[in-house]
Amino acid sequence: MDYTISTAAAVSLTPNRFWRAIQQAREGARVIANEIEFHAPREVDGVLALLAQHGADATLLAGGMSLLPAMNLGLAQPTVVVSLNHLPGLDYVEDDGDTLRLGALVRHERVRADPLVRRHCPFLSEAATVIGDVQVRHRGTLGGSIAHADPAADYLPVLAAADARVTLRGPQGERTVAARDFFVDLMTTARQPSELVVEVVVPKLGAPRGTAYLRLARVEGSFAIVNAAAVVEPGLRAGCVAIGGVGPRPVLVDAGPYLQGGLTDVALDRIGDAAYEASADAYGDISADPEYRQAMARVYARRAVRTAAARLTS
Amino acid sequence: MKASVSLTVNGKRHQLAVDTRTILVDLLREQLRLTGTHVGCATGNCGACTVFLNGQTVKSCCVLAADADEAEVLTVEGLSGQPDQLHPIQEAFVQNQGLQCGYCTPGMILSTLQLLQENPDPSEDEIRHGIAGNLCRCTGYHFIVTSIQDAARRLREASGAAAGASGKEVAP
Repeated sequence: MDYTISTAAAVSLTPNRFWRAIQQAREGARVIANEIEFHAPREVDGVLALLAQHGADATLLAGGMSLLPAMNLGLAQPTVVVSLNHLPGLDYVEDDGDTLRLGALVRHERVRADPLVRRHCPFLSEAATVIGDVQVRHRGTLGGSIAHADPAADYLPVLAAADARVTLRGPQGERTVAARDFFVDLMTTARQPSELVVEVVVPKLGAPRGTAYLRLARVEGSFAIVNAAAVVEPGLRAGCVAIGGVGPRPVLVDAGPYLQGGLTDVALDRIGDAAYEASADAYGDISADPEYRQAMARVYARRAVRTAAARLTS
Repeated sequence: MKASVSLTVNGKRHQLAVDTRTILVDLLREQLRLTGTHVGCATGNCGACTVFLNGQTVKSCCVLAADADEAEVLTVEGLSGQPDQLHPIQEAFVQNQGLQCGYCTPGMILSTLQLLQENPDPSEDEIRHGIAGNLCRCTGYHFIVTSIQDAARRLREASGAAAGASGKEVAP
């Protein structure tokens, strides 16, 4: 499989550099220095044509809540910017029987508040609720967030735990990739330079199932240190928990085998242990060192499974 | 490089040539001389640059001006028709000492407008979440919260009075 670097990954925007850059930027100018060729196509084919023309030199702009700060700090210096904000028809939330289909340009605020999401995939709404703040949620998008694939992003473990699928459109048409395979490496996804994320398809995981999304952050609205998303089936016959912030991509633990005997202390201990072991390569940065992240993976995996199980309605 | 941008700011339509590197807050401040919107961080954290874009609050340091083509923008200057006739939210901030240096205040006021449009009677918790995208270094937020509670009351009374005057029932 060809892995390509998505929107701002070329910038290597790790949280550590981000905070150091803010300190440096305080002394310097914040005007964007390099010339920008700006496009705002009114249809998806226009985007694909620009991607075909510019390849990885084209920087896609959705909500801009990751890209613009990077540009203002001089950390990202795109020469060709293709705005997706004038594309009609990519901001839908649709009930498709067993799944929900969300257009890539659905803003976080809508993911939070849409009655279909709240009912059929409540932990996706939970995740959107805690992204940033009101203004950030008015602008940031589902597709932009997953294409950027920050390892601490709120959606990533939810989509991994839910076993969602990501729809990409390219010159050859559309293909879907399992979310678990879409997040490939640090801020790197399965999207090819010629492709656009157009949709996320999420299985319906509402009642009677239990889901939960939890995050650890020092301040509301800041990047999560560690986060966890869990799904538990009625009767505890199956369950999984995905943990973010402990590796380049979400770490997935199959909780089903541990839950066979019920939601006991031993079961939660074992789930926590599994999360801890799976987080052995946790990264460190200015927010938290690897040991802390790994320790919190255990805590948050347990809490997410316990909370999801408590929400079972049968 | 230049882009042609047509946008409506505070009800007035503008046709502008903007450098594609310009962020929206700089267009508002420097090209349109609407300096009520402030730059605090340029990273989308502080909210001093908050404006309404197509009916929703956004951080205008994180919007490229060229991307605001055909948009409707409301800045703090657009809140009252007369310079000496403050919007009820502004009046509430004045009466309740909701500001000290005033740098965060336009953003706070617009976030308050967003909040109260959706939730006319917010709890203190809802108020604090509603302004979570606006940082204040001076006040400790206490009087900002009381200003917003007062603003909510003023707006509820104003809409109640308007409904009464027109003979309509106030919706529950």
